[in-house]
Amino acid sequence: MSIYDYSSDEVLIERFKEGDEFAFDLLVRRYEQKVYQLAYRLTNNPDDAADVAAEAFLRMYNSLKRFRGDAQLSTWLYRVVSNVFFDFRKREARHQHLPLEMPTDDDDEPYELPIEDESVDIMGHALQQEQKRVLMEAIQQLPEYQRVMVVLFHIEERPYEEIAQILGLPLGTIKSRLNRARNALRQLLEPYRELFGVEESPTTGVPQEASDAL
Amino acid sequence: MRCEQVKSLLNDYCEGSLSEAMRERVEAHLRGCAACQRELQFVQAIWRGLRTMPEVAPPADLHARIMTHVRANTRAREAQGRIALWRWAGAAAVAAGLFIMGFFAAQSDGVQAAFGFGAKPNPPVQTPQPVQAGVFLEYRATADGVRVPVLEARMNREATAELRYAPEGDAKTEPIVVWSGRLLPGKTVEIPLQTLLHTSGERVLTLRWTLEGQSRVLYVPAGYPPAKLASLRLQAKLGDALRQLASAYQTPIEWAPNGAEPLVVLDVQDATLEDALQKLLIGSNYTVKRHGDFWRVVSR
Repeated sequence: MSIYDYSSDEVLIERFKEGDEFAFDLLVRRYEQKVYQLAYRLTNNPDDAADVAAEAFLRMYNSLKRFRGDAQLSTWLYRVVSNVFFDFRKREARHQHLPLEMPTDDDDEPYELPIEDESVDIMGHALQQEQKRVLMEAIQQLPEYQRVMVVLFHIEERPYEEIAQILGLPLGTIKSRLNRARNALRQLLEPYRELFGVEESPTTGVPQEASDAL
Repeated sequence: MRCEQVKSLLNDYCEGSLSEAMRERVEAHLRGCAACQRELQFVQAIWRGLRTMPEVAPPADLHARIMTHVRANTRAREAQGRIALWRWAGAAAVAAGLFIMGFFAAQSDGVQAAFGFGAKPNPPVQTPQPVQAGVFLEYRATADGVRVPVLEARMNREATAELRYAPEGDAKTEPIVVWSGRLLPGKTVEIPLQTLLHTSGERVLTLRWTLEGQSRVLYVPAGYPPAKLASLRLQAKLGDALRQLASAYQTPIEWAPNGAEPLVVLDVQDATLEDALQKLLIGSNYTVKRHGDFWRVVSR
C-alpha cells in the first residue's frame, strides 16, 4: 500500500488548488505512464513522447486550478496530450517521416534463421514485431486528426463518446473521420498484406507461412 | 451486393455497428466471395494488430523530466526561495575522501560507494573524483509563500532505494511505502512530503530511508522556521527523544541507528538544540554534527 493510493483525483486536485505541490506530484505519478503511452503512439519516438508528456503536465499544472471536474481527469489529460501533439506538429513541420519500408539489414547483428524446432516461434515473434513496426509507421503517415482517432479508438480502446470529448468534436464527425482514417490505414498497409497473414493469391485462404512472409 | 460496397463496410462489420439486415447481406456476399473474405481477414488482422500493440516502457527518468519541465516553466518555481537544510558537503573535504553529513561519497568508477554511516568509507583508489550522492531535505516556498518540505535523493550509480513512513505510536503497523524505485546516476528523485504531513497530521514525520539494505531515520517537523531555544524534559528511547527534539526545535534530525537503542534522559531550560543534543547523547555511543540547519546523529 502506497501513500499514492490514498487520495482520489478530486482530493488531490483540491489539495493542489490549495497550494500543495505534492498533490501535483502524485497526480503526475498516477498518469505519467498513460500519458506517455498515448504520446508515444502519436509520435512513435521515445524522446518526442517524453517531451509531449512533459508539456502536457505543464499545461495541467497551469490549468488544473480551472479544472471543474465535468470530465474524468484522464479524458481531460488525453485532450491536453492531443492538443500538445497538434501544436508540436505545427511547430515542427520540418519533422520527417520514415518511409514505410521493410528494414534493411544494416544492423551489426545479422538476422539468422534458426534451425531448431523453436524456429517457428522465433519467426512468429519476428513477424509480430515487424507487423507492429509497420503498423506504427503507417499510423505516423496518417494526418494528425486521423492518427489521434486511430490511436485512441484502436490502441487505447477509448469509446466514441470519450473520443468526442477529447477532441471536442461531435460523435458523427468522429465516426466518419475514423472511418476515413481506417480506410487510409488499410491503403497504407496494402503492400504489407502478407505480414497480416493475408495473401493475394485467390487459391488459398490459409494464412501464409511465416518463412514465406519474410 | 457488390465487392466494392462490401469492402467499404468491413470496418463497420468488424465493429458490429451494421444493422442486422445489412450484416446479413454482407455475410451472404462473404460466403460466396473469396476476395472479400481475404479482405475481411486483412481488416481483422489490422484491428487485432492495433489492439495488441504492446505497451512501451517509458524512460526511467520520465518523472524527473516532467517535473523539471514543469518547474522550469512555472512562476511558482521562480518564487521558490530554496533553503537547503542538508547541503552538499564542501568540495575540499570530499576530495579528501571524507564522509560528510552522512552522504556517501564514491569513486568515479561508480563501483565503490558506501552508505555514510555504519560502514567505513572505502579508501580512495588512485585519484578519486568522488561523486556525491545522498538524501537531502529542502524547504520550498509554494506560490502563496508556505514552506513545504521536499526530500531529494541522488545517487552516483544505479541503486534501489525506498522511503517508508511509520505512523507515530503505531509500532505494529508496517511502515507505509511512500516512495520506492531506482536511483539513476545524475538524476534527482524528488519526494514532496507536504501531503504526507497533511494526511498524518503529525508534528513530526518519522521516515526511514533505505538504500541497498542500509537505512537511516529522518525526523521531519511540520513546523517552520526552526526554533532557536526550547525547554524540554524527557526520558525516552533515543529515537523518540530525537523525534521530540525535532518537534520542539522544528528542525529536521537525521539518525543513523547502530545497534541497540539507548534510553536517554534530558532536562533543559531555554537551551539551544546543540546543547540539548549534547546532553542527550552523553554516555551513549552517538555523537552529533551540525550542518547548517540540520542535525545529524551518528555513531562515535
